[in-house]
Amino acid sequence: MSLQVEDAVVDLTTEKRRSPTRTRLWGALLAPPAIWMVVFFISSIAIVVLLSFGHVNDVGKAVFGFSLDNYKALADPVYLKVLLRSAMFAIATTVISLVLGYPVAYTIALHGGKYKNALVAFLVIPFFASYLIRMYAWSTLLADEGVVNQLIRDTGLSDGIRFLNTPGAVVAGLVYGSIVFMVLPIYASLERMDTALIEAGKDLYHSPLQTFFAVTVPATRAGMLGGVLLVFLPALGDFVAAQLLGGPSTYMIGNLIQQQFFEGHNQPLGSALTVVLMLALLVFMVFYLRATQRANRET
Amino acid sequence: MATDSITQTRRGRSVEGKPKFAVAFTAFFMFILYVPIVVVVLFSFNSKKSLSVFGGFSTRWYQQFFHDEALLSSLRASLLIAFVAMLASIVLGTMLALALERVSSRPARITGTVALIPLVTPEIVTGVAALLFFAGLGMKLSLFTVILAEITFSISYVAVIVRGRLSSMSDDVEEAARDLGCTPFQALRLVTIPTILPALIAAGLLIFALVFDDFVLAFFTTGVDPQPLSVRIYSEIRMTISPAINAVGTCMLLVSVLLISLSLIVPRLLGRKDSSLDLISGG
Repeated sequence: MSLQVEDAVVDLTTEKRRSPTRTRLWGALLAPPAIWMVVFFISSIAIVVLLSFGHVNDVGKAVFGFSLDNYKALADPVYLKVLLRSAMFAIATTVISLVLGYPVAYTIALHGGKYKNALVAFLVIPFFASYLIRMYAWSTLLADEGVVNQLIRDTGLSDGIRFLNTPGAVVAGLVYGSIVFMVLPIYASLERMDTALIEAGKDLYHSPLQTFFAVTVPATRAGMLGGVLLVFLPALGDFVAAQLLGGPSTYMIGNLIQQQFFEGHNQPLGSALTVVLMLALLVFMVFYLRATQRANRET
Repeated sequence: MATDSITQTRRGRSVEGKPKFAVAFTAFFMFILYVPIVVVVLFSFNSKKSLSVFGGFSTRWYQQFFHDEALLSSLRASLLIAFVAMLASIVLGTMLALALERVSSRPARITGTVALIPLVTPEIVTGVAALLFFAGLGMKLSLFTVILAEITFSISYVAVIVRGRLSSMSDDVEEAARDLGCTPFQALRLVTIPTILPALIAAGLLIFALVFDDFVLAFFTTGVDPQPLSVRIYSEIRMTISPAINAVGTCMLLVSVLLISLSLIVPRLLGRKDSSLDLISGG
């Protein structure tokens, strides 16, 4: 106690003594979370990378090693097909989210008037529901005995359409799962945009559509890039949508990883798949950061 | 004044030529967003065991849920996980945010970058990593391991939200407290923490909802009994289709909508404009 008072008195009189005490406090604040992240995050990622070079021994236990066998195994067409499919699904999800999400963000931002905030809240609320519940919701809706097929049968158009287990259902689920993360950043950048630009564009270009592509789209590039990142990253690593809305013919890399850990009992192979996923995301991030830098320089 | 004129031109334009197609499209979009959720809630009250034909209003699936001891213990497990993870990540995340906001040393910068990585890492990667980490240490998977994994994931969220609040607060107030004789710790406790309290409450509510709903991390790190609610209903979904799952889902929905709405409203009630919505909308 007396030490604290002394500290305070010294601090009051000499400016120089202040900074070491403060730094000590901030250092003490930094240490616990920093140590936590190193122990629980960095080291556990390191274990994944290390184990990907390991193998399963004779009694079925995963052991560390220094072989590339797991990565060679992934070059098999069976795995390559799934990797390619994951990339296609994630790209399709991102493009569809952008095409559907942009007009929504645009309408709310520029024509929402006094209902703007209410509309944004209305848009966000469904995403408060857990991802698992939302995927489940889609699966009950699209099931052979689900509401949509019941409606189709009632109208007598057909005996029902098989939606589940198709790539379309999985991509639709992925879009439904994260499209809000596309709409919100675009909305934010439209909000920040000076609407006088559009007025000026109208004088310069013939049609509203030309104005849109020549003025509005470039001005909201940052928001679009943000949305692309937030939709693409989770889509590439997802396994719930393919599990609940698809089947083995629509499995993604996440399903393969999950299988290796829960059914295949080949953790080193699962680790190698996880590393491949991380590398794919790293490559994407590099391109992404370059693109945002370019966008920043241009605006 | 400037904002006034902008709203005026906006309002003017929306009156003269609202693009009907865009408005109709947005309305349809919103409709589709709600259809699956409304259907889940609706069929949770179905008197029939069907997910396509509504037989009449009934609460039998809720009664079944509230009498299912296994589901209830999963519910309690999820609440416990969310509560402990919330408390721990608020403490650790706030410490991190304070240190990152006030120190510019190299370790602080590196930690700042590292703390952002979990936010852009797909959950399956974090899940696999946590699973292997616990297996490597020879730890038996249980609710405890789920809690540890969820804390790691939540620290980053808290740090980002609290940093946002701290960066808009000048440290002059802290300096003033120090000049009045506070120790650095007292200044923190008496000045800084009360100022950022609304942000802390908002972050806490949001983290509780996120962890309560989380499936992927829990799936990879949970033991056998009791399992978190999300893991439990995942295995049920794969086995059967039953309105009982809709009832559980509706309850989960209610919890998250309530908590997240609160996390958005609390800062406003306490007179602050910052809320967790700013985090996702990038504002």
